[in-house]
Amino acid sequence: MSRSPAPPPRGARTHRTRSSSRFRGWLRHHRAMALDSARRLLRTPIGSLVTMLAIAIALVLPAALWLTLDSARLLDAELTESATLTAYLAPGVDAGEAGRIEEALGAQPGVARTRLITAAEGMAEFQQALGLEDALARLDDNPLPASVVVTPEAPAPDAVRELAETLGALSGVEEVRLDMAWIERLRSLAELGQRVALALAVLFGGGVLLVVGNTIRLAVESRRKEIEVITLIGATHGFVRRPFLYSGAWYGLGGGLLAWALLTLGGEWLAAPVSALAASYGASFSLPRLGAGGSATLVGCSILLGWLGAWIAVSRHLAEVKPR
Amino acid sequence: MIVFEHVGKRYGGRFDALANLDFRVRRGEMLFLTGHSGAGKSSLLRLIMRLERPSRGRILVAGHDIDRLHPSQVPFYRRQIGVVFQDHQLLYDRSIFHNVALPLAIQGVEPRESARRVRAALDKVGLLHREKALPIELSGGEQQRVGIARAVVSKPALLLADEPTGNLDPQLSADIMALFEDFNRIGTTVMIASHDLALIARLHHRTLRLREGRLVGDQEAA
Repeated sequence: MSRSPAPPPRGARTHRTRSSSRFRGWLRHHRAMALDSARRLLRTPIGSLVTMLAIAIALVLPAALWLTLDSARLLDAELTESATLTAYLAPGVDAGEAGRIEEALGAQPGVARTRLITAAEGMAEFQQALGLEDALARLDDNPLPASVVVTPEAPAPDAVRELAETLGALSGVEEVRLDMAWIERLRSLAELGQRVALALAVLFGGGVLLVVGNTIRLAVESRRKEIEVITLIGATHGFVRRPFLYSGAWYGLGGGLLAWALLTLGGEWLAAPVSALAASYGASFSLPRLGAGGSATLVGCSILLGWLGAWIAVSRHLAEVKPR
Repeated sequence: MIVFEHVGKRYGGRFDALANLDFRVRRGEMLFLTGHSGAGKSSLLRLIMRLERPSRGRILVAGHDIDRLHPSQVPFYRRQIGVVFQDHQLLYDRSIFHNVALPLAIQGVEPRESARRVRAALDKVGLLHREKALPIELSGGEQQRVGIARAVVSKPALLLADEPTGNLDPQLSADIMALFEDFNRIGTTVMIASHDLALIARLHHRTLRLREGRLVGDQEAA
């Protein structure tokens, strides 16, 4: 194989230095514009803060709803895991017979665990749960039947429903209740909530775009002369846009951090009453918190929206000054 | 350097600002463009800067048909042209130094190199000692010299000037013209639109005369 003569190294090297110096110039301009736009924002602190607050408020509502739904999803998983069937035994079944029926239920395929609740235990649980001790104590007879709580092996709704039918056919079992209906109800509520959250996120995201877009439009207006001059002497659209895009991103960053602070403060403020409320239901439930990932997503989305709003505002202006 | 081939510019579908312009400008030439206001001098310069596009004909600059430039190439084309405006077009919120450095900042020139070239350009127009001043602190003639420094700082091959001496007294005007001649002497093609006929007559350069958008005279340098 014959070797072609190597190209003169100087030309290649010159080219590389030129493009790398252009890249360095580009980076330098980015840094300069990031600092310059931050300085401009700080020069009008009140106005900047108002814009950032408007962004923050627009972000808090969908973020809070999303957080709530996220915890509902966790709750749902937990509930599905603990889905049980309750087999109510026929009235008049005595304790010995109830034990035998429990064994029979436990022997069925697909049953993981059983737990017998006698009529007396059922009454005690009922009283405790409802806080109606006095009223119930006045009853002469215990109207509650004995029951067996059955934990299925597989929590899949179809398998559980099939198991319920099998267990209901056993003698001594009056009725089998699936504790699934309200899980499904919760699920469709969560689904509804998710859609509402999505719609709100889109609406309020649009609101952020408008807020930033309007603020940047005014900034563009006040620097119209400068844009004209630098366009005359050969600035690219990217160069013209850059300071405004950084302003938008700074507004987004500020708004995102404020939204994060509002969510955190709001969470703290609501934490005590929420856990008190949960405790009154005998549950331990604490408000969900934005983790590191959630916080990064919130602030990241906010920056992106700020940047995008600025992009739209500047691009509209640039389209106006096109040569005829 | 510049070739106009049957160039016309019509506004609003009826008014011909320029009609059937046909001329060439050689590389390294210095020439004047004269005519009453409204004769089309500014329109012609705007066409060369590609701030506007011709309705008819073709304009070649350095061998390229500038009407066929992609919009993304236009900024890079404009960087090869230095422009001096009658109203200076300086930015009043920054110093003389930063005004002159603007074209270099746009081109991403390294700061130390940029500072060196800005000072050289300011020195050339005699304003090195005012680099920290704001434009508002300078007289009209000084502001115009800052505009010239900004136009030449990136060493363009073509220098355009639109009424650069419009508001200046005769002595200052002569100084400004002398500056343009200096840049022309080192190889820059210089095209100056002016209606100061007395001044033009004294300088003995080629002169294109426009009347109502038509070329009515092309007088070679005496």
